[in-house]
Amino acid sequence: MTSPSPCTADRLLGAATAVVASVAVALALVAAPTDAVQGEPQRLMYVHVPAAWLAYLAFAAVLVASVAHLLTRDLRWDRRAQAAAELGVGMTALAIALGSVWGRPVWGVWWVWDPRLVTTAVLLLVYVGYLGVRGLGDDRAAGARRAAAVGILGFVNVPVVHFSVVWWRTLHQPATVLSPDPAPMDPWMAAALGAAVAAFTLAGVLVVRRRLRDLASADAPVAGAARPPADAPAEALAVVPRAQR
Amino acid sequence: MTEPTTGAATAAVFRREVAVELAGREALVTTAPFASAFVVLAGLAFGPGPQQLAATAGGTAWLAVLVATVPLARAVAGAEMAEDSWDALRGLVAPGPLFAGKLLATWAALALTWVLSAALVTVLFEVPVLPGALYGGAVGTLALAAATTTFGVLVASGARRGGLLAALILPAGLPALLAGTQLATPGVAVLPWGILMTLYAVAVLTAAWAVFPVLLEE
Repeated sequence: MTSPSPCTADRLLGAATAVVASVAVALALVAAPTDAVQGEPQRLMYVHVPAAWLAYLAFAAVLVASVAHLLTRDLRWDRRAQAAAELGVGMTALAIALGSVWGRPVWGVWWVWDPRLVTTAVLLLVYVGYLGVRGLGDDRAAGARRAAAVGILGFVNVPVVHFSVVWWRTLHQPATVLSPDPAPMDPWMAAALGAAVAAFTLAGVLVVRRRLRDLASADAPVAGAARPPADAPAEALAVVPRAQR
Repeated sequence: MTEPTTGAATAAVFRREVAVELAGREALVTTAPFASAFVVLAGLAFGPGPQQLAATAGGTAWLAVLVATVPLARAVAGAEMAEDSWDALRGLVAPGPLFAGKLLATWAALALTWVLSAALVTVLFEVPVLPGALYGGAVGTLALAAATTTFGVLVASGARRGGLLAALILPAGLPALLAGTQLATPGVAVLPWGILMTLYAVAVLTAAWAVFPVLLEE
C-alpha cells in the first residue's frame, strides 16, 4: 500500500477543515444561544479562543522542534520550528486583535492594562524576536542553532501567560480550557467552541504543511546554479542563487 | 598537565571578568549614575503623589534592572569580540565553566543595579523593605543574569541585527518583573510570587545551561 502524495493529503486535510469549519460556523451562529450578559459580541469567543489555543499549540511545537533540532541537527526540525513559530505569531496577533474587538463593546475600551493582555502581547514579541534571530548571520546551520536556543528559552513565558488569569485578579474572564476550576458552559456553546478549535487546529496543520514545503525548497540546493554555462546570457549572472536569498 | 576542575575553571573565568572590570571600572562607574537617573526620572514620571510613588516603587526598581540587562548583554562577550580573543577563550574553557563564570559576573552587576535601585526607591519613594523583596532580588537577578548571558553570546555570534537584543531580553524577563514587583509590594501574599520567581529562575537557568554550549559552536 502506498501513502498518499503530499498534494492529495493536503486536499483531504483541506476538505476536512472546510467540513469542520462549516459545522463550527453553524453551531456558533445558529445553534449556540446568545450570551445573557455580553450579548452577540460573545460569539467572537468562537474565533478568539481557538486562535489563542492554536498559538499555544504552535509555540509548544516550536519548543519540541527546537529541542529535536539541537539533539539531531536535522534542518527538517528547524523548518518545522520556523513554520510553527510563524503560525503562532499570526494566531497570537489574531487573538489580540479579536480580543480587542470583543473588549470594546463589553468592557468599553479597546485595550486595558490587564496582565493577560500585556503578557500575551509580550509573548508575541518573544516569538517575533525568535523569527528575527534567523537573520543574525549568513550561516544557515548557525542560524538554526541560535533560533532553537531562543525557541527553548522563549517558551518559559508561555505557562506564565496562560495561568496569569488564574494568579491575578483581572478584568479578563477566567480560562475556560485547561483551567483548574473550569466555568460551567451551555452545551451548544461548548460544542461550537470545540468544533471551532478543531477547525482551527486542522487549518493550522494544513498551513504548516504547505509552509514546510516552501521552506524545504528554499533550503534545497539549486542544480546548476553554481556554474552557469559559458555561453549563458549575462543576465543569468545577476540572478541571486535561491539558497542566498 | 592536568585539566582544571569545573570549579577552578569557573573561578578563573570569574576572576578574569573581575580583572577586566577593575581595569576599566565600567560597571562600577556606570551603574550608580544609571540607577540614580532612572529612579529620579521614574519618580518625576509616576509621582509626585506619595500614593502613586508607593504603588510604583517595586516596579521601578525591577524596571531599572530589566533595562540594565541590554547594555550588560552587549558586554558579556564584548571585550573578547573587540580583542578577537573570543575564539581563544571558548577553545581554552569548557562551555559549562565559561557559562558559570560569565553568569556570576553578570549576576554581580545586575544584583548591584537592583540593590542601588531598590535602596534609592526605599528612600525617595518612602516605602518599606520587605523580606520577600530581598529574596526576589537575589533569585530574580540570577534568572535575568542567565538570560542576559545567553542572549549576549547569541547576538555577539551573529553578524547583523544587534538591535534585536532588547527585543529578546526584555520580554524574556517578564516573569521576573512581575514576580519581583509583587514581592516588593506591601500587603501582597509572598508565597505564590516567591514560588513563581523560583520556578522561573530554575527554568531559565536550566534552559540557558542546556543551550549555551550550542551557541559556542562554529
